[in-house]
Amino acid sequence: MRSTSFTDLIKKSPFGPIQAHMEVSKESVKELILFLESAIDSNWDQASKSRKIISDLENQADALKAETRGLLTKSLFLAVPREDILDLIKLADDIPNTVKDISGLMIGRKMAIPLEIAPSFILFANEAAAIADAAAEAVDYIDELFQFSFGGNAAIKMQALIEKLDSLENKNDQSEINVRAELFSIEKDLPPVDVMFLYDIINKIGELSDRAEQVGHRISLIASR
Amino acid sequence: MEVITLYGPYLLISGCVFGFFMAWGIGANDVANAMGTSVGARALTLGQAILVACIFEFAGAYLAGGEVTSTIRKGIIDPTLLADSPDLLVFGMMASLLAAGTWLLIASFNGWPVSTTHTIVGAIVGFAAVGISADAVSWSKVSSIVSSWVVSPLMAGTISFLIFRTVQNLILNTENPFDNAKKYVPGYIFLVGFIISMVTLLKGLKHVGLTLNFQESLLYSIAIGIFIALIGSFFLRKIENTHQVRGDVVFDGVEKVFAVLMVFTACAMAFAHGSNDVANAVGPLAAIASVIQSGGDIASQSVMPWWILLLGGVGIISGLAMLGYRVIETVGKNITELTPSRGFAAELAAATTVVLASGTGLPISTTHTLVGAVLGVGLARGLSAIDLGVVGRIVISWVVTLPVGAGLSILFFFALKGIFA
Repeated sequence: MRSTSFTDLIKKSPFGPIQAHMEVSKESVKELILFLESAIDSNWDQASKSRKIISDLENQADALKAETRGLLTKSLFLAVPREDILDLIKLADDIPNTVKDISGLMIGRKMAIPLEIAPSFILFANEAAAIADAAAEAVDYIDELFQFSFGGNAAIKMQALIEKLDSLENKNDQSEINVRAELFSIEKDLPPVDVMFLYDIINKIGELSDRAEQVGHRISLIASR
Repeated sequence: MEVITLYGPYLLISGCVFGFFMAWGIGANDVANAMGTSVGARALTLGQAILVACIFEFAGAYLAGGEVTSTIRKGIIDPTLLADSPDLLVFGMMASLLAAGTWLLIASFNGWPVSTTHTIVGAIVGFAAVGISADAVSWSKVSSIVSSWVVSPLMAGTISFLIFRTVQNLILNTENPFDNAKKYVPGYIFLVGFIISMVTLLKGLKHVGLTLNFQESLLYSIAIGIFIALIGSFFLRKIENTHQVRGDVVFDGVEKVFAVLMVFTACAMAFAHGSNDVANAVGPLAAIASVIQSGGDIASQSVMPWWILLLGGVGIISGLAMLGYRVIETVGKNITELTPSRGFAAELAAATTVVLASGTGLPISTTHTLVGAVLGVGLARGLSAIDLGVVGRIVISWVVTLPVGAGLSILFFFALKGIFA
């Protein structure tokens, strides 16, 4: 009943669903830690519950990814290049997917994590979760960045967030080397197929933190344009 | 001639009724565009917006509405060509009002983005070109009006782009945005007061008995600008750099400063809207009234009766008071993305453009000007996403509205002619 059109001009920010997506990713990495702890205790009932939650979160993330893409219709003029936004959501969506992969693989083979490497393994995973947290923080910060037109103090703060992310990632790389070394020192005593898969899981957790770091870098790239 | 003497009073009264309802419709519908931005940005509550709109729409219509009204009344068609048949002018203007009213009613029921200005201009050109003769239309004036419809959104867009760029450089992209906002916002408030009063003083106030030359106008406008900036500074002093929740939106200190500025740009926008859009309703009425009051003598020199603008002003604010709040609320809800630091830039640019058009007597579309202004902010990366598809829809509504307005008014014109003559 309104004969106006200028409000139709202003569309919702596509960053809203990306931020929600990042929250979901963060949750799923947190749940992965609980899952890994249950796996170390060989409590597969509890692990299945976590696995269920992870799978639900992955579905939510997919829906948010679709929502983001849905917002980016052709006729939009965006403050940030469309390709950057699409890249960002693609990178971010790898996080819940990888979490789901890890939990699926482990639960399918009921993979036990050798107690000798359990402490550094959990440390390694926790660090990945911290990186996901930091990436989510950077994604959240995009609102502030946008409000201040990608410059001034907001850009400086974003830079600090990214530096924090990088230092977390460096630490995490070191932890990955440690876990691998520990596994290497005991691998002769373990069934070879299990060892192969353990390496695979370590790889995937490493991938998780890589992705989270890339999300942060993509945000800082968006900020600097 | 006979028709005028016989039916004069009835024609005048029905002209007043049609004109009033047009103004009422403008108040109910179009004012929302001017005020919705401020309500959406939470700079004003709904009640405050209604109050501001009532005062400044009326002031704009009454103080600065004369030039555009005179264009509608005697600029598009040359009344002296109709000296022998003044009744045709009365029928035509009546038909234009009816045509515009009908088309706007149909359009708003279907939610089409249609401009009141385009409809009324199309209607007047229609009845004059077909009902009287193609020579009766001042085509040079019409082409300058049509080109102003292209220029006004572009101009508003350029101004808002530049304004928002200055905001970025002076305030947002600095180390201390809050302090800089407090420092520079009074300057923008000055600009608001200065531009509006400059155009009004230069062009509008002859009918209230005030004639000023350029230098006097400049001087008074600077004084008014400074005065308004001082009022603004007074309110700015109290603002602290803390977060505040308004409705469902969180404001930080910087946006709170801009929200004060936006109160002023909202006033300017309402004033500008009143000054330009009142003519759509009362321009035809002014033509009818001057013919009938002079007993059928078309003297294009005659001054416009003062009560015409008054009637238009009252019509606008009564429409606003009766239905406008609902539309403002809807518009406001839809544009929460337009925060005060963005909204003010769009409003100031649009208000400046519209007031300039009012001063030069060009009837333009306030809505389209706002569209241009919002695009300008978007191009300066002030909005995260703007839909350029809207621009296409506006162009289509343009192309459709002119012939439809013309066609309807031709229809009504011959019907009225058939009834009375």
